[in-house]
Amino acid sequence: MTAAVSTRRGSNHVWALFALPGVGWLIAFFVVSVYAVMAVAFGKVDPFLKTAIPAWNPLQWDFTTMGRVLDEVFNGYLRKVFLRTFAFVGLALVGCVAIGYPVAYFAARKAGRHKGLLLAALVLPFWISYLMRMLAWTNLLQPDGLVNQVFGWFSLPDNRNWLDGDWYTVVIGLTYGYVPFFILPLYSTLERLDGRLIEAGRDLGASARQTFFRVTLPLSVPGLMAASVITVLPMFGDYYTNSYLTSGSPRTEMVGNQIENYLRNTGQPQTGASLVLILMAMLFVLMVYYMVTTIRQQRAAER
Amino acid sequence: MNPFRRRHGNAPVLAMVTWVYVLWSLLPVLIAVRISLNDGRSRSSFQPMSFRWYWGDQTASLLHDESMRVALLNTLKLAGLCMLIATPIGVAMAIGLQRWRGRTSNAANGLMLVPIVTPEIVFGVALFLVFSQMYTGLPDGLTRQLLGHVTFTISFVVVIVRGRLAAIGTQYEEAARDLGASRLQAIRLVLLPLLSPAIFASVMVVFATSVDDFVISSFLSTGASTETVPIKIYSGARAGSTPALNALATVMLLLTLTAVAISTIILKSIQRRGGDDPGVTGGLAGLSG
Amino acid sequence: MSQSRRDFLARSVQLGVLIGAGAPLLQACGSSDDKRSAVSAAIADGLPPEKGPLRIINYADYVNLEVIADFEAKYSVKVEITSIDTDTEATTKLASGAIKADVHHSMAGTSIGNLIAGGLIQPLNKSYIPNFTNVIETFNDPWYDPSAKYSVPYTFFGTGIGFRTDRVDPALVEAQGWDTLWNATDFKGQVSVLDDEREAFTMAMLRKGITDVNTTDQKIIDQALADVTELIDLVNVKVNIEGYKDIPEGTTSIAQTWSADLIAGAAGYLPEGVTDEVLGFWHPPAGEYVVTNDSMGVLANAENPVLAHLYLNFLLDNDVAEKNFSWVGYLPAIAKLDADFVIAAGYVPEHLRTCVPTNEEIAKAIYLKPLGAEGDAKYETAWAKFTAGG
Repeated sequence: MTAAVSTRRGSNHVWALFALPGVGWLIAFFVVSVYAVMAVAFGKVDPFLKTAIPAWNPLQWDFTTMGRVLDEVFNGYLRKVFLRTFAFVGLALVGCVAIGYPVAYFAARKAGRHKGLLLAALVLPFWISYLMRMLAWTNLLQPDGLVNQVFGWFSLPDNRNWLDGDWYTVVIGLTYGYVPFFILPLYSTLERLDGRLIEAGRDLGASARQTFFRVTLPLSVPGLMAASVITVLPMFGDYYTNSYLTSGSPRTEMVGNQIENYLRNTGQPQTGASLVLILMAMLFVLMVYYMVTTIRQQRAAER
Repeated sequence: MNPFRRRHGNAPVLAMVTWVYVLWSLLPVLIAVRISLNDGRSRSSFQPMSFRWYWGDQTASLLHDESMRVALLNTLKLAGLCMLIATPIGVAMAIGLQRWRGRTSNAANGLMLVPIVTPEIVFGVALFLVFSQMYTGLPDGLTRQLLGHVTFTISFVVVIVRGRLAAIGTQYEEAARDLGASRLQAIRLVLLPLLSPAIFASVMVVFATSVDDFVISSFLSTGASTETVPIKIYSGARAGSTPALNALATVMLLLTLTAVAISTIILKSIQRRGGDDPGVTGGLAGLSG
Repeated sequence: MSQSRRDFLARSVQLGVLIGAGAPLLQACGSSDDKRSAVSAAIADGLPPEKGPLRIINYADYVNLEVIADFEAKYSVKVEITSIDTDTEATTKLASGAIKADVHHSMAGTSIGNLIAGGLIQPLNKSYIPNFTNVIETFNDPWYDPSAKYSVPYTFFGTGIGFRTDRVDPALVEAQGWDTLWNATDFKGQVSVLDDEREAFTMAMLRKGITDVNTTDQKIIDQALADVTELIDLVNVKVNIEGYKDIPEGTTSIAQTWSADLIAGAAGYLPEGVTDEVLGFWHPPAGEYVVTNDSMGVLANAENPVLAHLYLNFLLDNDVAEKNFSWVGYLPAIAKLDADFVIAAGYVPEHLRTCVPTNEEIAKAIYLKPLGAEGDAKYETAWAKFTAGG
């Protein structure tokens, strides 16, 4: 049926026209912008004004800065930053999975009467500004804030300075900030799981536990991966969560902070731009994976 | 109750974990709102309540602090304009991409998906560089921020609308065409109304995304007059912050929730006429396919 | 005190724009119709003031709006302020013509050379600025503008250690000097250094007795980097420019910070129930004291140059400067507003006398000068390494 509409009277071009404004916009402001990053990374810097002199012509691209930055990334001080970033993101992902999977599972399959209310509660963080949620945490983590007070109730040490610049504060912050983005996609995957397969497992004599580990979990892996990717990708470039929560500690510096520093506070924009490209290259595989799965799902839905 | 649940029962532990999560997720925000009502300067403990930071304090409250009002207005301006620009472009693009056949279409589809997976800092840096090196004719920080927001949000619109498009199918339009309507009429009179839940959902998502945006606004900001609420909150953590910041965030939250509530009501009234629809949640979940 | 001003202070040296030799390049880059060379002729004497409006570029919250209102009333003109965020932003926007203004309210020492050589500011006709005699003597011939031909000073401040007197013995800070930070292991997590690539390393150099803080010797910079990096493990050092609020609020006990921060902190950031006695400030002796100042100037293409001169003169009036200081918190470079005066007038508590640099300290002060692209890059890279976690 779909084919009938699209081939009638050369309508393909008409649909292309519909997409044209969007495509044009994305080319003008996204593709060109990314190209500008490359032009700056492989360009020069005005020695006096310290502003970038981008090299728009690929034949004039100069890779010395990129070479230097790559060297620092693999052998120099940037290595630590990248490793730390990977560590933070990894730990936060673990947190998201540990918290998010049970919640998503419950919401998808077990919520019953309260499902609507629960869904609203799970969607609510989307409408709350990310920074407001972080602001809320800085309120709680003050030396005389609620977290320490609660610790005091349980006779735990209640004078810890959470905003000190420690890794666990950053990991907690990242987990808290990104877990809603993890739960919803996972929820929609789990909801679409064929319940009959799970029933079949139980009918064949497996215990609830065995059914979960041998039927439900494997079935949910694609959804888990998609949710993980969509959560982890923005986390890698995050630079505001850690600096917001630690008032500037070198011990929690992530790649995003270095990028921001180079681009806004130094006369070496080409270094910052190079770092951006390196970050994109590292995330490339994840990005492609996500795009491929999305396209596949789009095709399946439209068949 | 379906047989499965009857046989295996509810899961009390999971239920508890889930509701504890909901509390953990939302309680800090409620506390932040409560702190905005503090009478004193404390940002960590509860003090007797008053509206000091909303309008009472003569210099630092939301009403009297010029920079806060500017930030609020900027955020609303940006979000409003972004909605108006990104939604039509995105809806058209969704319709076009879904029906356009060919390799170019696939490429365009891929292009549309890339912004969703791109970390915001890449966006921020790229836009910052392109506006300072290439599109230098745009001096106003707000204009640049708007362009950045639209670029960032078009893809969300497309994904949400496409999800709905796939569910609708083409039979209604074809019926209209058979009855003599032109292609454009069919789209305008038949398809768009059917799409309205998704359009509403994407309008809300664009609004929320633009309001929440920090990285792009921050990189493209040119000074105190182009600050937005997220920028204000962020810099407020570091510069003499009072509960006025909480008040600012609360006001923004209330505005957003009101907008969501209104659009949900409109949505529901449209839905009563239309078929089943996953609504905003489905739209959001559709972001991941 | 605004975040933008703080950002500027931190960034101004980092972005320390040009050295005077930038002029030939600016000439090459500039548009064909305006020649980029220093403007040599000032306006003539005895001209009447223009109608205005007077346009000013300044950082946000860096001038008392009441003072502006007073000026508007006195000369029956309107004043428009365009705010900018960073020093480079101002320079590039002026150079490209994106901003048109009459008065540049806060030129950093590191970029005045560029503004002069690039023909962006005009020499002053001091006959319109009789109040210039109110200025502290050293600023009659500052390092960045010989004979003060193009600028008058606005505010100035020094870099030292701000601390909580109720937690740290002032005598101990006095005895240890910069070592106080390195010895502050009891205050883990409550110690901070300035978020500025020059200031932190300068402190390390001064601590080791090196007073040429404008050196580009890589070995010295590396040693400074190593010293500052020690602080990460020793005291969980933080990096920010929030000393003015963190010290009064108590989240920081010992901070490398600016003298004006303590004054501002005492004036506006003490929590309820806490007096300003808990604030203390130490700085190195004259000759090792880093002093920074901002200056005002008249832009070369000003449409209201006479009015601009009159504005500069207005701000250099003793009473106006005092009124401005009472709101802004940064000391104006006015001779009358010395330590005795501001303390007697109640703007600064007696025990924070050290926050007001004396004439001798100003005369012998060390300045952070621009180092050219390569020199600046060395510091920037070292700073990036430090913030990366050492």
